Amino acid sequence: MAAASCYITSIKLPTFSWNTASRKPPQKRFSFQISAQQQAEVQESEQVKAENENETEKQGNLKQKTLRPVEPQVNVRSRNLARDYGGQWLSSVTRHVRIYAAYIDPKTCAMDQTQMDKLTLILDPTDEFLWTDDTCNKVYAYFQELVDHYEGADLTEYTLRLIGSDIEHYIRKMLYDGELKYNMNSRVLNFSMGKPRMKFNSNELPDVK
Amino acid sequence: MQGRLSAWLVKHGLVHRSLGFDYQGVETLQIKSEDWHSIAVILYVYGYNYLRSQCAYDVAPGGLLASVYHLTRIEYGMDQPEEVCIKVFVPRGNPRIPSIFWVWKSADFQERESYDMLGISYDNHPRLKRILMPESWIGWPLRKDYIVPNFYEIQDAY
Repeated sequence: MAAASCYITSIKLPTFSWNTASRKPPQKRFSFQISAQQQAEVQESEQVKAENENETEKQGNLKQKTLRPVEPQVNVRSRNLARDYGGQWLSSVTRHVRIYAAYIDPKTCAMDQTQMDKLTLILDPTDEFLWTDDTCNKVYAYFQELVDHYEGADLTEYTLRLIGSDIEHYIRKMLYDGELKYNMNSRVLNFSMGKPRMKFNSNELPDVK
Repeated sequence: MQGRLSAWLVKHGLVHRSLGFDYQGVETLQIKSEDWHSIAVILYVYGYNYLRSQCAYDVAPGGLLASVYHLTRIEYGMDQPEEVCIKVFVPRGNPRIPSIFWVWKSADFQERESYDMLGISYDNHPRLKRILMPESWIGWPLRKDYIVPNFYEIQDAY
């Protein structure tokens, strides 16, 4: 991680934006987390946002961080990136974490890729673990922290993969600490983060931070 | 002991250093980066019309990077073609070598691969971009001081 962070500091442009929301549609257990930042040019809402950030900082001093809400958007259509972007598809996809640089509507799943200032996190679509609201919100808060930390880096697949890997390591740490359990009724039960062990704690592993 | 080509180059006053012969009897020369393009054209005119391979390697951590060119002459009916191996050493801080794409076309992808893996940038190459790693990759993977970032997909097998 030390090597990765020194690559990031040498890159310039602030391109990430931040708001967060999470919804769970009742039929599928998809948890979406949409994060978008405030643009610095927007003058009038700057003051409101500063207040929001102050509030979240004060509340962040307590244990639970409140998630910053994002405005729900109507009439979102699936849109691909314009041709001058080369039609890229910025995403990082692993088994439990899918991050897209787009706005994905939580209900209709329409993916609007032209809104590149937002990142959407889809958490564990295959339901390998049993999630509660509490654990979900911890992952969302960690995602928020990570995006704030990576602010100023280039919007490339490399940084999205770094963010995705950090979240996966965090999920693995939660599993080893016992906060997450494997879902025994999942369609594919292959214990991808290690077989269950007796009396196991994340302190016993040298590389799990 | 100097090889034939080395003697010929000395006769024409071209600066180079002879590195002897490797285990297959192929003559090896070291050439400086700024002379390389002109010597490449001279060798092409001399008769070496086939760039058999171009590779690169990292000599030592904190040391130089080497770009290796293996040239030979392809002719009809030739049994033992002459070959020569040329190494160009560049410092790690500013690794720039003139591209020989315009002399031997087969250097196109090979120089791109050396760029991708070691960061040696070839001047005047028409499309020098990453060829094996994803385009947005940061870092030069085959350098001896490259540290792999902590991606989730790279895990030790249990």
